[in-house]
Amino acid sequence: MRPSHILLIIILVLFFVDGSLFIHSQRLKEELRSDEEIQKIAVAGLGLTDLCVATEARYTRHPAVSDPMAPFMDHPGALEHFPTGSFWAVTPNRNSR
Amino acid sequence: MIPKGLEKQFNILDFSLSSLWRRKLKNLGIMLVFALVIFLLASFQMLTGALSNSADAVLEYTPEITIQKMSAGRQEAIPLAYKDKLRSIYGIRSVIPRIWGYYFDESSLANFTVMALEFDSMPSGNKLNLTLSHGHFPKITESGTVVIGRSVQAILGLGNRHVFSLFKPDLTLKSFKMVGLFTQETDLLTNDLIVMNLTDARDLFAIPKSMVTDLCVYVANPTEIETIAKKIAALFPDTRVLTKTQIQKTYQVVFSWRSGFASICLLTALIAFAILAWDKASGLSPEERREIGILKILGWETADILAIRFWESTLVSVLAFIIGCTTAYIHVAFFDASLLKPVMIGWSVIQPPFKLLPSVTVADLMLIFSFSVMPYLGATVIPAWRCSTVPPDSVIR
Repeated sequence: MRPSHILLIIILVLFFVDGSLFIHSQRLKEELRSDEEIQKIAVAGLGLTDLCVATEARYTRHPAVSDPMAPFMDHPGALEHFPTGSFWAVTPNRNSR
Repeated sequence: MIPKGLEKQFNILDFSLSSLWRRKLKNLGIMLVFALVIFLLASFQMLTGALSNSADAVLEYTPEITIQKMSAGRQEAIPLAYKDKLRSIYGIRSVIPRIWGYYFDESSLANFTVMALEFDSMPSGNKLNLTLSHGHFPKITESGTVVIGRSVQAILGLGNRHVFSLFKPDLTLKSFKMVGLFTQETDLLTNDLIVMNLTDARDLFAIPKSMVTDLCVYVANPTEIETIAKKIAALFPDTRVLTKTQIQKTYQVVFSWRSGFASICLLTALIAFAILAWDKASGLSPEERREIGILKILGWETADILAIRFWESTLVSVLAFIIGCTTAYIHVAFFDASLLKPVMIGWSVIQPPFKLLPSVTVADLMLIFSFSVMPYLGATVIPAWRCSTVPPDSVIR
């Protein structure tokens, strides 16, 4: 067997794996679409502003309604110490007080 | 029948593969590290893209304008009297006062979000029961009743019980009866929520009757949101006025390359490639130079030698790219992004299940491709070209 034939088999295997993942993504998309309809009712009915991803600090639980200074507000000279603070960038609401 | 030009390329490909296999330990090592860096970049991009997409889809119905009172740079309770003053602004459809805040449970170290408002006045307020797996939302007359998120139920260890107590600021206990539980489908939004009546929230947080946490404003004409927000900001200079657009924009920005963790990922990748490029560009090994010299003596042209190096680099980098991206998708879709999740949720006790569709866009793939494959191709082909243009006898001597 030529080396290029072995390469072809490897590419076919990867193609098959990625094809299966594509089918999986399409199914998941349909599933999530029905979930989103219920989520929209929760957002509208409760006036929610944020996703519940990190709950350790108020500026990562509710970044949309926090201001960029929130991480340093605990006391004068406060340093941001929550791990999530390194994952989440500053909110865009800089023009607001 | 294969055309002659293609047959030549197949032969060169075969030669390149054999050459790669001769140094399999080194090449597989490079490919593995390469795939790992791509996996890290792609996982971050797919996870944050998925969260941004979810936020974009569901936060479309967030309050049109939110008014918060500010004092000494911090948010504080807003007087209910502001609601009456808003009547002077034409175009406002409704103003809904809301009390919300955080309750820290000292026994479990969990932070819950407590939310209270008049549900009937909210858009889709009459459909809210659809968001529950069982039970109903507290009616105005039902004092001491709550609807809770699934993680709240688990952390409080309620089991089959429906009654639990929370501490008020004066450390007296206030009892609540769970009358509804949010469904699994809304976990991404309601996992840590305790929803109750305004009166109960006032009692729990000891907020005076004349105050609320913020005001949600809905306008008659959505195109006037920005104008009305400016009027509100002018009317109440001591407030922060947030519009729906600003809230929606948040999730397009908070997971950007400029966040600390993403910068570290990106810098690690760039430094790794810089070292690789420097190593490659500083010259080929004597063995590789001798191989090129022998090939030239045997009659191979410079273009053929470059084609071999091109095939070798392309195979290593493209395979690493495909493997890295594929494993990144599997990591986010099937394993809840378990390697990134600890950083993303930090010390949070409440751990939401991530049922997310990894975001795979052509733009992201191109970005990762250009950060990884292109520098590698450049870093390997250029030294080979430099070497293949020197006289072969000086190389093999």
